[in-house]
Amino acid sequence: MKTNLAKANNKKLKVVQINGGHNILKKLNSMGIFDGSLIEKIASYNHGPVIVKVMNSQLAIGRGMAEKIIVEEV
Amino acid sequence: MKIVLVGNPNVGKSVVFSYLTGYTAISSNYPGTTVDILKGKTRLCNNECEVVDVPGCYSLEGESVAEKVASEIIKSKDYDIIFNVIDSNNLERNLLLTLELLALRKPIVIIATKTDIAKNKGIDIDYDNLSDILDIKIFPVVATAGIGFSVLEREVSAVFNNFKLPVPKIEIPSDITEKWKMIGEITLKVQKIYHKHPSFLERLEEITTTPVTAIPLAFVLIIISFYVIRFIGEGIINYVFDPLFNNYYMPLVDRFSSFFNEGFLKNIIFSKNMTPLEGFSVLTTGIYVSFVVVLPYVFAFYLILSVLEDIGYLPRLAVILDRLSHKIGLHGYGSIPLIMGLGCKVPGIFSLRILESNREKIIAASLLFLISPCMPQSAMIFAILSKYPLIYTGIVFVYIFFVGILASYVLNKMLKGTSDDLFIEIPPYHKPVFKNLVFKMRLRITQFLLDAVPFVMGGILLINILDIFSILDLLSKYFAPVLNKIFSLPAQTSSIVMLGFLKKDVAITLLAPFNLSLKEIMVSCFFLVTYMPCLASIFVLLKELGKKITFYVIVFNLLISLIFTFIFSQSLKLLF
Repeated sequence: MKTNLAKANNKKLKVVQINGGHNILKKLNSMGIFDGSLIEKIASYNHGPVIVKVMNSQLAIGRGMAEKIIVEEV
Repeated sequence: MKIVLVGNPNVGKSVVFSYLTGYTAISSNYPGTTVDILKGKTRLCNNECEVVDVPGCYSLEGESVAEKVASEIIKSKDYDIIFNVIDSNNLERNLLLTLELLALRKPIVIIATKTDIAKNKGIDIDYDNLSDILDIKIFPVVATAGIGFSVLEREVSAVFNNFKLPVPKIEIPSDITEKWKMIGEITLKVQKIYHKHPSFLERLEEITTTPVTAIPLAFVLIIISFYVIRFIGEGIINYVFDPLFNNYYMPLVDRFSSFFNEGFLKNIIFSKNMTPLEGFSVLTTGIYVSFVVVLPYVFAFYLILSVLEDIGYLPRLAVILDRLSHKIGLHGYGSIPLIMGLGCKVPGIFSLRILESNREKIIAASLLFLISPCMPQSAMIFAILSKYPLIYTGIVFVYIFFVGILASYVLNKMLKGTSDDLFIEIPPYHKPVFKNLVFKMRLRITQFLLDAVPFVMGGILLINILDIFSILDLLSKYFAPVLNKIFSLPAQTSSIVMLGFLKKDVAITLLAPFNLSLKEIMVSCFFLVTYMPCLASIFVLLKELGKKITFYVIVFNLLISLIFTFIFSQSLKLLF
């Protein structure tokens, strides 16, 4: 089931789509978040940032940006 | 020969830089400590080499100013060799930049840092294999301990002396997704990750990231830090510096003063009242305030800040504060200048560069001056309120914080636009390295001694002279109505407000000899912290953000400060 990263459960996820402009895409891509990449959501603050594990590092992503990342559970 | 040090943020470039050059670069465990370009000479290879520490970037296509600066330097190709610093704990992510650098076809070697930490985590990297695949030299090091540098030095010297610098030949795809694919294949070949039981630090990472535990823990940590600072500061004062001063120093000064005849000269040096904190003698009050009252707290503060920095707690605090930051027009990244500003405003202002929009820079700059008293200021607030229960110190800090938030909320509503989203790497916790800690403390305390102490002494001398010539009384009369009516402060404090313009970070201590009441101290602490940025930060702000913005920031600051000092003094009157 597809959902956005802000709403997804704390699980291993696969990125299927990024609904962002050029800048956001570039930012996310350079940190290893791109169509088809595997990430793991590990925590989420109420109305606040989402924390994901990408490759071997942890990233905090603001809510707005997280909502633009469409993921599905794997 | 010109070397550029390039790598992701927080991989340890500054440590490598310090090691290569012997220069003093501050390193901490959070991304973005270096935003300025550092240059130094190294004597690798008997050649005089210049080393340039480029701000950290994840990719050459980055969007923040710091990243643009980095990419501009790298793409200019105005250097002889790249030292690409990569973090062994994060091989995969780090390799993106490496591939981009390889595509430039400039001579390059890789320095892989934090190899010890990676090994402990069960990350096993076959560096030889990686070196074969990429067709370049790789030097695994433990930069904090200096391990691995002798090999680097030897081999790099050999290369330099032959004047045959290794140019990479490997084919690099131009599309970023293709690059990631290539990286995935490479890591599969060279990296094995063994499952290990989560270490204590890893479990700590978990509970400080999960909101349910992280938020209360942050509160507890801040409160504990408060108590520890007070405990250490008071301990040093009561058991070391105060006895030393009274038992050894004061008798010397007494004897020294007896050589002088009563008169003008004696008055200038020893003032009318020699008792420390009562008169304005440079030799008694000056020394006492600088070394006995403030220095112990400066030490305690820097110790706590440096430990929190090195462990890697601060970015987590940024995450917790993100929602609040958003409401006041900053994304969580905006808290980095603020956190750096807790040390000193100047690096705080420099790190404004990591923010992308001008709007955020204005908000962050205003907030920087309002919300976070710098280290000497904080230490002085602690020191001057140390004879009262800790709660009053707490009230002052909470009020400063509250006003900062409120002001920035207003600013956010006034300025058009929205703030960007948080996007920040959270580094794993590291055990603080004792050597790094000592180095940082030494640097910061030396800075305090060279910077603040002469000013305190000079300030006290000046006040003493003003006092002798009765100018102090004159000034007091002139400013009395303002200070008295609006802030309920005694008129004599006007001279300090004026001195504060020159170097406000230490002005608070000058209040010590005035015998103010608790209420008056609290109000003047707030006013002196907020009313104006110190001269040094005004200059840096001018350089970084230009005349117009600097002017707005200062005016906004003063306005907020006047209004809220008034409110503070009125509400304290009502309360007690």
